Amino acid sequence: MIHIEGVTVVYPDGTRALSGIDLHVERGEFVFIVGASGSGKSTMLRLIYRELVPTEGRVLISGQDVAGLPRNLVPTLRRNVGVIFQDFRLLPDKNVWENVAFALDVVGASRREKYRKVPLALELVGLSEKEQSFPHQLSGGEQQRVSIARALVNNPAILIADEPTGNLDPDISWEIVQLLANIGERGTTVLCATHDRVIVDGLRKRVVSLVGGTIVRDARGGGGYDEP
Amino acid sequence: MNLSMVEFLLQQTWQSIRRNGLMSLATSSNMTVALLILSAFFLATLNLEHMADVEARKANITVDLTEDADAGEVEAALLADMRVAETRYCPKEEAFEDTAVTMGLDPATLLDSLADNPLPNAIIAKPEDPQDMAAVAEAAGNIEGVAEVRYKEQITDKLLTLAHGIKVSGVVAGLLMAAATLLIVSTTIRLTIYARRREIRIMQLVGATNWFIRLPFILEGAFHGMMGGALSTVLVLAAYSWTNAYVDRHLGFLDLVYDTTFAVLFGLGALLCGVLFGVLGSLVGLHRYLRHI
Repeated sequence: MIHIEGVTVVYPDGTRALSGIDLHVERGEFVFIVGASGSGKSTMLRLIYRELVPTEGRVLISGQDVAGLPRNLVPTLRRNVGVIFQDFRLLPDKNVWENVAFALDVVGASRREKYRKVPLALELVGLSEKEQSFPHQLSGGEQQRVSIARALVNNPAILIADEPTGNLDPDISWEIVQLLANIGERGTTVLCATHDRVIVDGLRKRVVSLVGGTIVRDARGGGGYDEP
Repeated sequence: MNLSMVEFLLQQTWQSIRRNGLMSLATSSNMTVALLILSAFFLATLNLEHMADVEARKANITVDLTEDADAGEVEAALLADMRVAETRYCPKEEAFEDTAVTMGLDPATLLDSLADNPLPNAIIAKPEDPQDMAAVAEAAGNIEGVAEVRYKEQITDKLLTLAHGIKVSGVVAGLLMAAATLLIVSTTIRLTIYARRREIRIMQLVGATNWFIRLPFILEGAFHGMMGGALSTVLVLAAYSWTNAYVDRHLGFLDLVYDTTFAVLFGLGALLCGVLFGVLGSLVGLHRYLRHI
């Protein structure tokens, strides 16, 4: 599904964010990317939704080299990759329903499609009751659920989560990660960057550790934050 | 592109126009002023050219004959010049009567007081193209039996020179205004882009195409252009119809270009210019600012 091969990323200011990374993720796999701030977690994820192109090496999604993708095909790739962030990135003047429907609006979904898909996505994240609420009326955990619903409403094959629990209390973090795990079990490939030790240790999924832009450990069979 | 996409785009456009209310107002007003100035220059040039044309068409060359000249020969010589469209013989009696009538006198009384008709026989010649007036007049002066050649060169030439001057300054002022308008529209679009940067970011992330992201901004530019075009048309046509009525009442000898077809075409032209300016301004703004988001 995702194949990263000999990838190096050097930012224009000369910062070397990743050095010769190799990673292969199967369809439906759940992978934690762990490491300290600045270890290259976000950079690695940004390669997958083609926010960045590698300085060296290749990134293949379903066999297609994303760096070589013509500009006009980037949107097509992104419809197949849902992304969620630490800061939720919801639109404050739209309610829950509209925030989720926004992802369908911009790809030209019909009204009927919206009325079918938005309730399904909201049900999946357990927010059916709050579809009329505005972001400022929701807790952090609920806001992150809305952003997950928005990321999933186009049925992407891949879900990228960049520090999804960075702004949340431990209890709520655990709920969000459980939700991501459920989504993974339904067949979506999930890549979750985090430095939250508790959730990684709790879930026992595959863990890839980054230090200074290099992969130092890949616990394929499932592991904790530090130990294999 | 389906119906719900169009609905979404229009909704986005309207939202951003409303959200930046004051700036939108400023942009539409600026567009109105720019188009007002352009329209005023356009109308002035058009009418001066029209007047010059009317005058030139009325103008003809009066060829005065010597006492012993053979009018038929001179007329034949004039017509031999390819630039001359038509000629008419005007005997001195007719010229005298015309003059008397113009002066508001009875020809018989005038003739009595003068003892003799001082006017010569003449041939009135009309050139095909008013531009050839001077050349035809010069050639006519060389024909045997011609005493003097007269034509109203000054008024036509002056009108044409004035029209040309106004046209040039109109184009220069128009270009300056167009540049200023483009700058203002692109700045408005930049502010809109800034106000909506979160939304644009999310649109990019969930896979909206670049054109889908750009279209609301282009529509916004077109909207300001349309507003400017409509408002300036209303103002200009109101002022113009007042001027036309005034000219009719007080300056009856002048004739302005004015009818319904003209008004409709003028309005459509102004709208089209406005939309064009608006869209161009948006494209400049998008080109300069969207890639930074």
